[in-house]
Amino acid sequence: MSFAHLNIISGNILLEELQSHTQRRIHDDIHFPMPQVPASQSSLQYVDLVRRSEDPRLGRKARIPGPMAFFAVFQKTLLLALLSWRTFWSEVLAEYVSLTPESLKVSTNSTCQCLQLQWSVHQLPHHQELKMLFQMEISRIKPSNVIWVGNYSTTVKRDQVLHWSWESELPLECATHFVRIQSRADDAKFPELSIWSNWSSWEEVHVQRSLGPNTLLVFPKNKLVEEGSSITICYISGINHNNITCYLHEKLIHGVQLDSNASAFKLNNIPFIRKSGTNFFCEVNQTDIKSGTTFFVSKVLEEPKNFSCETQDFKTLKCTWYPGVDTGLDWNMQPSQSYTLFESFSGKKQNCKHKNSCNWKITQDVQETYNFTLTTANYFRKRSVNIIFNLTHRVHPMAPHSVRFESIGATPVLMSWKVHALGNYLTLQCQVELQGDGKVIQHSVDMKVNGKLLFGELVPGTEYMARVRCANAKHFWKWSEWTVENFTTPEAAPSEAPDVWRTVKSENRSHIVTLFWKPLSKLHANGKILFYNVVVENLDEPSTSELHAIPAPARGIKLTLDQCSYRIHITANNSVGTSPASVIMVPEDSGNRTEEVEEERIIGKEDGFFISWKPQSGDVISYVVDWCEPHQDLFCDLQWKKLGPNTTFSLISSDTFRPGVRYNFRIYGISTKKTAYLLEYKTGYSQELAPLDSPRVAIANLTSRSFAMTWKDYSTESQPGFIQGYRVYLKARARQCHPGFENVVLSGVSIYCKYTIDDPKKKTFVVENLQPESSYEFFVTSYTGAGEGPNGTFTEVTTPDEHSHMMILIILPMILGVLLIMLSCYWKSDWVKEKCYPDIPDPYKSSILSLIKSKENPHLTIMSVKDCIPDAIEVINKPEGTKTQLLETRKPVTENELTKPIYLYLLPEGKDSSDPGPCICFENFTYNQSASDSGSCGHVSVPLEDPPCQLGLLPSPNNLLKTLEKNYMNSLGEMPAEETSLSYVSQLASPIPGDKDSLPTNPPVPAHCSEYKMQMAVPPCLASLPLNENSSQSSMTL
Amino acid sequence: MRARLTRRTLFSLVLGLLLLSTAAAMRGCVGPYQHLLSQLQRQAHLTEDTSSLLEPYIHLQGLNTPILRGSCTEHPGAFPSKDALRGLSKRSFLRTVNATLDRVLKGLVALQKQLLEQQDLKELETARQNIQGIRNNIHCMSWLLGGSSETAEPMQTGPGSWLQLTSTLDVFQAKLEGCRFLRGYHRFMGSVGWVFREWGESPSRSRRHSPRRALHKGVHRTRLFRRGKRPVPRGQLPW
Repeated sequence: MSFAHLNIISGNILLEELQSHTQRRIHDDIHFPMPQVPASQSSLQYVDLVRRSEDPRLGRKARIPGPMAFFAVFQKTLLLALLSWRTFWSEVLAEYVSLTPESLKVSTNSTCQCLQLQWSVHQLPHHQELKMLFQMEISRIKPSNVIWVGNYSTTVKRDQVLHWSWESELPLECATHFVRIQSRADDAKFPELSIWSNWSSWEEVHVQRSLGPNTLLVFPKNKLVEEGSSITICYISGINHNNITCYLHEKLIHGVQLDSNASAFKLNNIPFIRKSGTNFFCEVNQTDIKSGTTFFVSKVLEEPKNFSCETQDFKTLKCTWYPGVDTGLDWNMQPSQSYTLFESFSGKKQNCKHKNSCNWKITQDVQETYNFTLTTANYFRKRSVNIIFNLTHRVHPMAPHSVRFESIGATPVLMSWKVHALGNYLTLQCQVELQGDGKVIQHSVDMKVNGKLLFGELVPGTEYMARVRCANAKHFWKWSEWTVENFTTPEAAPSEAPDVWRTVKSENRSHIVTLFWKPLSKLHANGKILFYNVVVENLDEPSTSELHAIPAPARGIKLTLDQCSYRIHITANNSVGTSPASVIMVPEDSGNRTEEVEEERIIGKEDGFFISWKPQSGDVISYVVDWCEPHQDLFCDLQWKKLGPNTTFSLISSDTFRPGVRYNFRIYGISTKKTAYLLEYKTGYSQELAPLDSPRVAIANLTSRSFAMTWKDYSTESQPGFIQGYRVYLKARARQCHPGFENVVLSGVSIYCKYTIDDPKKKTFVVENLQPESSYEFFVTSYTGAGEGPNGTFTEVTTPDEHSHMMILIILPMILGVLLIMLSCYWKSDWVKEKCYPDIPDPYKSSILSLIKSKENPHLTIMSVKDCIPDAIEVINKPEGTKTQLLETRKPVTENELTKPIYLYLLPEGKDSSDPGPCICFENFTYNQSASDSGSCGHVSVPLEDPPCQLGLLPSPNNLLKTLEKNYMNSLGEMPAEETSLSYVSQLASPIPGDKDSLPTNPPVPAHCSEYKMQMAVPPCLASLPLNENSSQSSMTL
Repeated sequence: MRARLTRRTLFSLVLGLLLLSTAAAMRGCVGPYQHLLSQLQRQAHLTEDTSSLLEPYIHLQGLNTPILRGSCTEHPGAFPSKDALRGLSKRSFLRTVNATLDRVLKGLVALQKQLLEQQDLKELETARQNIQGIRNNIHCMSWLLGGSSETAEPMQTGPGSWLQLTSTLDVFQAKLEGCRFLRGYHRFMGSVGWVFREWGESPSRSRRHSPRRALHKGVHRTRLFRRGKRPVPRGQLPW
C-alpha cells in the first residue's frame, strides 16, 4: 500500500490548528463539565462537547418588542445593580474562601502520550463535599503558547487528591508542556462560591530532558492507531534540521520544525500495510545516525456476518458467523479480535475459542427461546450482532445412517435407514433419491427414528445409487448431509428377443448367411448378457440342427449353409435365463432376387433418407429396410430397421451418414413364414459431392479433320455422387466453337468450347470439323449434382496434314510390291539362280571326263599336283590392299589352321617361263593338300600366316581337305596306279577379281578372251624350291 | 515472486531431505566421517544463504529499503569470526558451533513469538529444524572425534550482541536487532562452512583430531590432544 494518499499536514498548519482551537476554547464562556474518564476517551468527549458549544441554537438571542422598551431598560438597570452587588460579595468571599487548586503535579505516560494531572483543594469552606469546576490550560514549548483549555467538573471532598489526564496529539517527548489549573464551585446552593480562583502556577513537563549533540530520536514509539485515522510523528535532535531526512517506509516525508530541536509530521488517513507495523525513520545525512519508530495500524473491526445458531442433537448449539478481517498485529501490539457470546434469557456469557464459531451447551431444562448477542472487540471498537430464535426452529439433523437394502423378488427393493434421535416430539421429513438406468426418482418420507421406502419397477441387474437426507418436517431449517449408498438389483432372464437380421450370399451351391443382432437394451437385457445361442435348423432334414454359442459382446455370426431351407433361432442369455428367440428363415432361393429388382436412385436430405415402397398385398407381416454403413476400412456395418406391415415409407436417419458416401437401401418384405424377399433396391447419397477425379482420356482415330476421345476405364460408381454426364472442353486457336459447343471462360482468362454429354454411359466423343495441321487442347471432366470434377491439365493434340494419307496410299503399295517381288524371287530362287548366276560345273562330273575315260585312256586319272611340273608360271601382282584385306579376313582362322604347312614348289630360278622344265607347284587347299599330306617328297614348309584361299567358305581346312581327298581318292580309285604320275588335270578359274580367292565350287567354263588360272599337279620329285608368299596368287594364262 | 517461492520450496525440500538423513544418522552416529563432514558442509552452505531466512524476514518487517538494509549489519562480536573459528581445534570448533547454534535457536524462538501467526514466516521454523539437524550432526562428529559437543563453554561474545526482546522494547529497534542477528547468523554459518570445507581439503588439519575409528587403530591419543591445545591465533580464544 502506498503512502501517497496520506494527507500530511505541515507543522505550521498543525500549530495554527492547535492555536486556533485553543483560542476558541479560551473565548468560550460556557463551561462544560468534564467527567472523570479514561485518558484515551477524554479528548473524544471533549470534541463532542465543543460541538455542542458551537451549536447556533445556544448562541441565539431573543428580540424584545418596542412597547416593552421601558421594561427592558428597567430590567437592565436592575441587573446591573444585582451584578454590582454580586461583585461586591465575591470580592468579600474571595478574601474569605480560597478554592485555588494546590499541589499540582504533572506526570507523563508515554504509552498513551498523556499528561496526568494530580492536585487537591485544601480549603473547602463549611462543607465536606462541594461540586466544583476546574479549568485547565495546557501550553506547549512556552507558557504563553496555550494549545488547549478545558474544564473538569467533579465533586470534591476535603483534602481529596484529584486526577485528570490529557492525551497529547504531539508526542510529549518532542516538546515541553506547561499546565495550570483554576477552579470554582459549581453548586447552585453556594452561588457565592462560584467565582474562579486564581490560576495555579505553571507546571513544566519535560519528557526528554537531556539531548546530546548527535542525538536523533523519533517518537512516538510503538503507537497503535486505527486504519484511516491520523498520527503525528516527531523527532528531536541536536543536529541541524536541514541535515535530517525522514522517510515513511521508502517515501520521503517533509515535516515542520516545532523548535530548534523538534520537528513534527502529521500523517492523515493512515492505511493498513502489514501486521508487523509501518516504519518511519530519519537519518542524518552523510552519517550513520539513524533513528526510527514503528507504528501499528489496526484494521477497522468489522461486524460479524451471517450469525446463526443451530443444533443437531438438542445438546449443543453451534453458532457460526463470518468474522471479517483479522485485526491482530505482530509484536504483541494487538491480538486478534475476541468474540463473546451472551444469552440474555439465561444471562450466561461465553468467550469463543474460535473466531468463526462457538459451541453453546444446552441445559437439561430445555430452554425453547434463545437470545444471543455476539460481540467482537479489539483495542478500538466493539461490535455486536443479535439473534433470537426458537430452538426447534434451528434443527439441522445429522446425516442418516444405517442405510440398508432388502430385495423382495426381482425388482422391488426395500430401503431402510435411521436418524439420530432428536426427541420424540420432533418429526423429520426425509428426502430419498434413487438414480439409475438414466433416471432419477425422488420420494419424501416422514419419520422419527427409522425410515423405510419400497422401490418398485426397478430394472433387474442394474446398479442404483440411493441417497437420503432429512430435515425438520414442521419447521424446516436445513437439510442434513446426504447419505449415499449403492445397490444392484438381481438379474432376470432377458425379456425380449434380440433384434436380428441377415445377409445371404449364394456361392458355389451354398448360401453364406451372415447374422447380425443388436445388443439388448438394459430394459430388456435384465442383466449382463453373457452369450448368444444360434440354433440352425435344417427344414429339409429336421433331424439335423446345429447350435452355436457366441460369447457376448459379439454381434454376429457367419454361417455357410447348403441350398436347403433353414430356420435359425437366436436367443440372448444372461446368468439367469434365456430370452425369447428371434427366428430367421433362409429359403432355398435365398430370397435376394437382386437381378429382378431395379435400382432406384433417391436423394438424401439433411435429416436422412426418405424411403418409400409399394405396399405388398397378401402375407407380408413386416418390412425390413437394411443398409450398409461403410467404415474407413470398408467394412460394412449392417444396419436395419424393422417396420410394420402397414408401413410403406420410413425416414432412415443416422448420425453416421456422411456426405459423398453412397448408401444402398434394400427393402425386404417378411412373409408369414418369416421368409424375407427383396422388394426394392434404392441407392443414394445423403449429400452428393463433386467427382473426385476426371476421366483419363485416350485419343483415337486422329485425322486431319477429326479425332475421337475415349475414357472407357472411368468408374462412375466410385464417385461421391451420381455421375450425370461429362463435359468436354476444347480449346482451339480459332476462337470459334463448333456447333454443339458453347463458349465458356475457365480460370477467368481462357476461353474454351464446352460440350456436355448428358449420358454417363457414353464414354466416347468425336471431335470433327477440325483444321489440318492444327493444335487443339481438350479436357474431359465428369459432373454430378454437386458440380464438376477437379480441374485437370489439358491435353494437346495436333491434326496431321491433309495429304499425308495420300503419301501413305502411294508408299504402302510400293512397299508391298517390293515385298511381293522379293517373295517371288525367294520362291523362284532356283530359277533366278539359274538365270542370273548359274553354278560352275564340276569338272569331275563333266561328261567330257567320262568320255575321255571311256574312249581314250581307260587309265586316265587326275593329275596330282605334287606330280605336276609346271612349265610356266605367271605371277600376277596383286595389289597390297587386296592382300591386306585378305589377311584381315583371315584373322578368325584358328592357330592350327595357320600352322598348317602350305607348300609351294617352284622351278629353279632363272629359268624362262616358256622353257619346258619342271613344273611349278603352287598349292591351294583344294588341290594340293592331299598331295602335301602324302609327303612323298621332301618339301620345304612355309608357315603362312594368311593362306590365300578364301577360307571363310570352309569351316576347316582339314575337313575340306579330307572331303576333297576323299573325292579325289574316289576318283583315283577308278584309275590305274601307274598312270597317276603322268596325268594332268587342269582347272580353270574365272578371272573375276572378286573370285580370285573364292573357292571354286563348279567347274569353270572357259570364256572367250578370258584369263584363267591353272593349277597343275606335278610329280613330287620335281619340287625343289618353295615359293614366297606372293606366289600364292599366281595364275597361268591359257 | 513465484520464482522466489519456488526456490524456497526447493530449498526446504533439500533441507528436509538432509534433515531426514541427519535424523537417520543421529540414531546411532554410525555414518562415516567423510559422509558426515559432507553433510555438515552442505548444511552450512545451505544455511548461509540469506534467502533462507534473512530476506523473508526483511520483507516481512518492512525493512526492505536501502537505508534500513544499510543499518542491518552484524553486531561486531555477536558471533565468532571466521578467523577465530579457523584457529580452533576441531573439537573446540564443534563445541563453539554447537553452543552458538543453541543460542541462535533461542533467538529464533524469540523472533517467532513476536509474530501473530507463525505461518507468516515459515522460514523461521524451517531454520530451527535445520539448526537442530546441524547440531545433531555436530554431535555425531564430536563423537567420531572422541569428544563431546555438549560439555564446552560457548565462546564469549560481546555484551548486548544477542537478540533481546522485552515487553518494553522499541519495535523499530527490535526489528533492526532481529535483522542484525539474522545477518550474523548467516555469516556465522558461512564461516562454519568454510572451516568444514577446510577439514575436507586439508588432511594435515585432520591429523590433529582424526576420527574415532582412527583412534581405535592405535593413533596416539595423548599426542593428538596435546597438539589440539596449541596456542590460539591472536589470543582470541580463551579455551
